[in-house]
Amino acid sequence: MFNLVIGQYVPMESRVHRLDPRSKLISVFLFVIIVFLANSWLANIVLLLFCYAGILESRISLPFIFRGLRSILVIILFTFFLNLFFSSGGRLLLSLGWIHIYQNALIQSVFIVIRILVIIVVTTLLTLTTSPMEITDGMENLLSPFKKIKLPVHEFALMMSISLRFIPTLLEETEKIIKAQAARGSDFTSGSLKNRMKAIVPLLVPLFVSAFKRAEDLAMAMEARGYHGDTGRTRLHKLVWNRRDTVMMMIMALLAAILILVRVSGCW
Amino acid sequence: MTHIYNSKTPFERAALDHVSLKISSGSFTSLIGHTGSGKSTLVQHINGLLRPSSGSISVGDFVIEPQKKKQDLKPLRARVGYVFQYPEHQLFEETAIKDVCFGPMNFGVSAAEATKRAEECLTLVGLPSLFWHRSPFDLSGGQMRRVAIAGVLAVHPEVIILDEPTAGLDPHGQKEIMELFHKLNKNSKLTIIMVTHNMGDAALYSDQILVMEAGQLKMSGAPEEIFSREQDLRNMGLDVPETMVFLDKLTDKLGLEKGRPVFTLSETADRVADLLNGGAAHV
Ligand SMILES: Nc1ncnc2c1ncn2[C@@H]1O[C@H](COP(=O)(O)OP(=O)(O)OP(=O)(O)O)[C@@H](O)[C@H]1O
Ligand SMILES: [Mg+2]
Repeated sequence: MFNLVIGQYVPMESRVHRLDPRSKLISVFLFVIIVFLANSWLANIVLLLFCYAGILESRISLPFIFRGLRSILVIILFTFFLNLFFSSGGRLLLSLGWIHIYQNALIQSVFIVIRILVIIVVTTLLTLTTSPMEITDGMENLLSPFKKIKLPVHEFALMMSISLRFIPTLLEETEKIIKAQAARGSDFTSGSLKNRMKAIVPLLVPLFVSAFKRAEDLAMAMEARGYHGDTGRTRLHKLVWNRRDTVMMMIMALLAAILILVRVSGCW
Repeated sequence: MTHIYNSKTPFERAALDHVSLKISSGSFTSLIGHTGSGKSTLVQHINGLLRPSSGSISVGDFVIEPQKKKQDLKPLRARVGYVFQYPEHQLFEETAIKDVCFGPMNFGVSAAEATKRAEECLTLVGLPSLFWHRSPFDLSGGQMRRVAIAGVLAVHPEVIILDEPTAGLDPHGQKEIMELFHKLNKNSKLTIIMVTHNMGDAALYSDQILVMEAGQLKMSGAPEEIFSREQDLRNMGLDVPETMVFLDKLTDKLGLEKGRPVFTLSETADRVADLLNGGAAHV
């Protein structure tokens, strides 16, 4: 029922999976920034190729990723047309009543779509190949300098890992409750808007009740096992920075260099 | 019929693999099998909560097929009730009695009639009336289960699916609930399909037992027939009823041959008496 690709983790064996979460996080962070350097066809093609290579390396099937992108198709199309209709410059290509489409607007819209697409693909790739556990560990590790200025980094990381961990559980739970209520004749997929809204209550109440119960149980279970916050806590999985992580950083530096070069040289 | 979860994703898995079966109306059918064998998945097809990936299901004049566009399943669900594995998943109203009314009112029963039915059903499941006007969330797990069962009975279905109905009840409560369903089956000709891990219940109350393993239907037949294939069951990680275990031990001790499976306590007592009187000839 819930075909969520974005934000899901697919445990597999690949070079991308084996990268240290820190190098992946840094790469994604860098990538999201340098994407904005791309304002030419060549640069955009480089970005697309980079994504394609990443997907190939991760061994995650392309159709699977596309299916994930389908869910944000509306947003992409919306941005595309908004840009297409409301910016101007260059030759007038088409004019339909009040709609005027200019050459530059078309090119810009395509670039923006590519930008959104590559950012989403890369972040999706991060979550697909890195378990929530690893992501938060990496995050905490990268942010640990901020502990010096008394930012509760560990607590934030914990909160994040718990919420990530419970997203699938809550979805599963929602599905179960929907089924249980559907079996009793409640229906929120058809009928008038008012009826549908009313049918939401029997879904939300049990969902909240069980979420609160879960939170309580979890807190109790953590305390029972001696959890007492950050200080003095040791780790089961130590993060290890390998040669391949350094290589990954090199690749990112190279990508940034290429994009800067393309931009300054102003070709295409 | 086959059911594949998360089809076309890396998480794809076949939960049901070419299962074919028939359940006659008015019968009491038990479904047993190891955890994860696909029992819940199978029964969720019966009232259209899940659609098969291939194959079809017919219930009365309803046919559920994979390609068919969404049809109105409400009439089907009014006739096939479903008690879920964990009842707290469906309680939401302010009071237990209102929660029981939810089902009937969804199917177009008037408020007054629904309340009447709710009172009947809550009595039937043995929830003391002092709990009727309390919040369902203040009840114990076993009491919640009773409310959930009442909520399904109040719709007056012809078929009831029970997914481990007695899990989480005390021994006395388990017996009470099982007796209730037995009575409904015998007196009101309610068709009952029960998923259970309790071999004793399966043996004692069913007309037909279905055995599932890894998404496949491995055996089906009358309780006696199923439980005489003890070795096959053990290979699937399943057990036989306690009464049989007891008699097997006894016959072993006495160096006698195993007899026909028996399930009730009084039959077992009779058999023991026979055995102790040296009546091996009887078997
Ligand atoms: N919503 C779902 N999405 C994906 N896989 C599922 C889903 N529900 C069940 N499965 C898988 O299908 C298989 C059969 O599950 P099912 O719930 O039918 O088992 P069961 O026989 O009822 O087990 P139990 O006795 O523990 O209740 C299991 O391997 C399970 O992991
Ligand atoms: Mg089950």
